[in-house]
Amino acid sequence: MAVADQRNRGTILALTGPAYLWLTVTIFLPLSAMLYCSFLDKSPLVPQPASLTLKHYAAFIERPVYQQLMLWSLELGAVVTICCLIIGYPAALALAKVIKGRWREAMFLMVVLPFWSNALVRTFSWTMVLRPGGLADQAIHVVAPDAPALNLLYSYPAVVVGLVHSYLPYMILTCYISLQAIDDSVIEAARSLGARSGALFRRVVFPMSLPGVLAGSALIFVPAVGSFMEPRILGGAKGATLGMAVEEQFTVTANWPFGAALSFLMLGAVLLICLALYPAARKRMEGL
Amino acid sequence: MKLGSTLLTAHLWLVLAFLYVPIVVMAVLGFNASPLYALPFEFDPVWYRALTSNTKLIDAGIHSVGIAIVNTIIATTLGTMAALAFARYSFRGKTIMQLLLFPPIAIPWLVIGTAMLVFFFWIDIKRGLFAILLGHVALSLPYVIVVVGARLATFPHAVEEAAATLGATPWQTFRRVTAPLLAPGVIGGGLFAFAVSFDQFVISYFLAPAGVTTLPVEIYGAIRKGFTPEINAISTIIIVVSMGVLLLTARFYRFGGER
Amino acid sequence: MSTVTVTDAVKKYDAVAALDSVTMTFREGELFGLLGPSGSGKTTLLRAIAGFVSLDRGQVLIDGQNVGGVPVHARNIGMMFQNYALFPHMSVAENVAFGLEVRGRPREEVARRVNEALAMVRLGGLEQRKPKQLSGGQQQRVALARALVTRPKVLLLDEPLGALDKHLRQEMQVELRRIQRQVGITTIFVTHDQEEALTLSDRIAIFNFGRIIQEGAPMEVYERPVTKFAAGFLGEANFLQGRVTAIEPNGLARVALDLGGEALCRLIGGQAGQTVLLALRPEKIKLSTDSQAGTNAVRGKVLDVVFSGNSTTYRVRVGNQVITLFRQNLAQGTVAPGSEVVLSWSPDHLVQVTP
Repeated sequence: MAVADQRNRGTILALTGPAYLWLTVTIFLPLSAMLYCSFLDKSPLVPQPASLTLKHYAAFIERPVYQQLMLWSLELGAVVTICCLIIGYPAALALAKVIKGRWREAMFLMVVLPFWSNALVRTFSWTMVLRPGGLADQAIHVVAPDAPALNLLYSYPAVVVGLVHSYLPYMILTCYISLQAIDDSVIEAARSLGARSGALFRRVVFPMSLPGVLAGSALIFVPAVGSFMEPRILGGAKGATLGMAVEEQFTVTANWPFGAALSFLMLGAVLLICLALYPAARKRMEGL
Repeated sequence: MKLGSTLLTAHLWLVLAFLYVPIVVMAVLGFNASPLYALPFEFDPVWYRALTSNTKLIDAGIHSVGIAIVNTIIATTLGTMAALAFARYSFRGKTIMQLLLFPPIAIPWLVIGTAMLVFFFWIDIKRGLFAILLGHVALSLPYVIVVVGARLATFPHAVEEAAATLGATPWQTFRRVTAPLLAPGVIGGGLFAFAVSFDQFVISYFLAPAGVTTLPVEIYGAIRKGFTPEINAISTIIIVVSMGVLLLTARFYRFGGER
Repeated sequence: MSTVTVTDAVKKYDAVAALDSVTMTFREGELFGLLGPSGSGKTTLLRAIAGFVSLDRGQVLIDGQNVGGVPVHARNIGMMFQNYALFPHMSVAENVAFGLEVRGRPREEVARRVNEALAMVRLGGLEQRKPKQLSGGQQQRVALARALVTRPKVLLLDEPLGALDKHLRQEMQVELRRIQRQVGITTIFVTHDQEEALTLSDRIAIFNFGRIIQEGAPMEVYERPVTKFAAGFLGEANFLQGRVTAIEPNGLARVALDLGGEALCRLIGGQAGQTVLLALRPEKIKLSTDSQAGTNAVRGKVLDVVFSGNSTTYRVRVGNQVITLFRQNLAQGTVAPGSEVVLSWSPDHLVQVTP
C-alpha cells in the first residue's frame, strides 16, 4: 500500500469524490438541515420568515402523549429484539455448528433470501395469515372447531410478529457469522477439559458469539424503534408508535419542525441506550 | 448432544417455515378466484389479468424498474471507484470516510427519508423520480463499497505484477487480469444496488409526489384502502423478482464469509 | 543469454537501508542464489532488477544497458512469484500463452510455443485445467513455463520452492536445475533456505542488512566463510576464540583456545599476541573415547545425544563452552551422556572469521 503523496492525492480525490459528494448531498446535509429545521418556530412550508426556538422539544416534555409514544416505541423495539434473539440464535447455531456442506449453503441462502425482498410486501403477507378467516384462524378451527372467530390483525402481537419476521434474518446472519468463526478445536478443547453441553454453551460458545448477538441486536433495535409502516398495516390505529407520529407530522399535519424534533429525540434516545450498554458490552468482549 | 442437534435442526426448519409460510399464503391467494379471499380455493389467474389493465400499477412498475437500473449503474460505478481508492491507498481520513458509510445503513429510513424531504425542499429539488433516484443511490452506495471492498481485500496483487513481468502494459494488465478478477465483486455489488432500490419503500414514500410513484408506494396506498387479491398478485411478482436478483447475487458474491 | 550488473545500488525505506551500496555481476547462463534472513535486502535487489523497486542510487544494467527508466513490462524478464501468482481465471494454456499474446505473436506460434513450454515442464495434457485444480508442484511448473515461454533475458525466482513440502521441494530442485541448464538462461533466485541455495546455485551471495557479506561458489562459501554471520547462516558452526601464541615455520599459527587446549591453524597474516575467532563445522569434528588431548584435540564431557537417522548430534561441554558435533552413524554405536571424550579436528578445518 502506498502512502498518499501529492501524485496519489489527485487519484484518491477523483475516485472517492463523486461517491462522498453524493452522500453529502443526500445524507449528511439533509440530516443537518433536519436538525436545523427542528429548531424553527414555523414550518418551512409557511412562506413567512422563521426564527429559532426550542418549543418543539419543550412540547415533547409538556405533552405526556408523546412521552408515552416514545416509551411504547422503545418497548416495542426491545420486545422485537429479544424475540429475534430467542428465535434467531438457535437457528444460527444449527446453521453454523450442526448442518454441514451443501445443505448449509442452501439453508443459509433460504434464511437471507427474504432479508432483501420487499419489507412492505412481506408485512402485507402477514395480513393474509392474521386476518379473520385467514390461515391462523382456519388452523385454530381445525383444532378447536367451536372456538370464536379469531382476529389477530390490528393488534400489538400482530405488529410484533410482523417486525420479527422483517428483522429476524439480521439476527440469524450476524450470529451465524460469529458462531461459524469459532474454531471447532476450541469446542473440542473445552470438551476435553470436561465441559458438559450446558457449560460448554454458557461459558464458551455464547461468550464467543457475543459480538454477533450485539451487532444483530443493534441492527434490529434501531429500525424497530423507528418503524411506522408495519404498525400502520398490522396494528391499525391501536399500535401507535413514535414513528407513526413522525410520519403524520410530515404527511398529514405538515408540522415539519415538530416531526424533525421527534425524529432527533428518537435518535437521541436510541443512541443513549446503545451508549449506556456499550461499556458493559465492551468489557465482555475484550480479546474477541 | 445428538438430541440437541436434532432439536436445533428442527428449530431451524420451523424458522424457515415462519419466514416463508406467509409469503406462500399470499402468493397462493393471488391465484384464488374470490375477491374476498373466500375458500374453498379456486384457481384463477384473473387478478394477474386485472394487473395488465391497471395502468397506475404498470406505470409505477416501470418507474421502479427504471430507477433501479439507473441507480445500479450510478451506485456501482461510484461505489467501485471509492472501494478501489480504499483498497489501493492509505491516506488521512480514510477511517473516518469508511465510518461515514454506516449512518445511511444504520439510521432509520424514516429519519433519512424525512430529512431528504426537508433538505430537497430547501434547495428546491422537487419531489419526484429524480429525488427518489438521489435517495436510492445514497442508500445503495455503502453496500456497493462494502461488497466490492470485500472482493478487493482478497485480490491477489501479485498477479498484476506477474502480468507486468510477462510484458503486459498497464492497460493490458487491467483489461485482461484486473477487470476479469474484479468482475464478480462488481456484479455482486450491482445486484445488491438493484435490490436495495427495487425494494425501497420508505424513502420513495416521502419523496414521491401524488400521482408519480414507485411500485411499493403504490401498493402501500392500495393496502391502506383495503386488501384485494390484485395486491397479492403484484406482491408475488415483486417477491419473485427480488428473490431472483438475490439468487443471482449469491452466485456472484458468496455470503457468510465461507471460502 | 545475458549478463546482469548491479552497481552501487542503494534503496532506503524510512531511513532503513534495504540495499546499502550493492555491486555485483550475474554472469551469462549461471544460476545465482541470493541468500539471507528476511529483511536482508535480497528480495529488494530482485525486485529492483525486475523493475518493481526504483533505486535511490546506482544502476541495474542488463547486457550493459541501463534499465533504470524502463518499465517492468518492457524489460523482457521472466519472474516466478512466491505463491506463483497464476491467473486464477485462465486455464494452464492461457496462463502460459499470456506473455506471447500481449506481445502480439501470431496464433499458430503461440500455440506451438505453449506446447513446447508445457512439454519442457512435463505438463502436457493439463492445458485446459484451471490453476485451482492443480497440485502445488504442478502450479509451480506452470509458473515456470509461463515465465520461460517468452524467452526472457533473465529469469527471476522469488522463493521459488517455499510453498512446497520438503519431499516435493527436493524433486523440484532437481527439475529446476535440469530446465535451467536446458534453456541456459541467466537465473537469479532468492531464498532463505540455505540447503536450497547450496543445492541449486552455481554461485551464491549472502546478504545481511542490505550488504553482501560473501559471494562465491557454494562450496567455497561453505568451507571458507569470511565472517561469523556467514559461517552461522550457511550451515552450522562452532566458534572458538583464542590468542595466537606463535607462528610456526610452516606458516601455521599456534593458538591458545579460551576453552582450554591448543590449536594449530592457518591464518591470514596473523601475528603472535593477536586475538582470533575460528569457525569449526560440527561434521568436521572427530569424537573418540580412547585418545589423548593435545594440539587440535580437547577433552570434554558429553551433555546430550540426539539421534537423527543418518547422523547423531552430540553436545559436549569443553571448558566453559558447549561444542556441537555431528557423527555419521557407522557401526560404532553411540556414546552415552556423561562420558569423558576427546574432540579432535584437522588444522585445515579451522577457519578464521571476522566477528
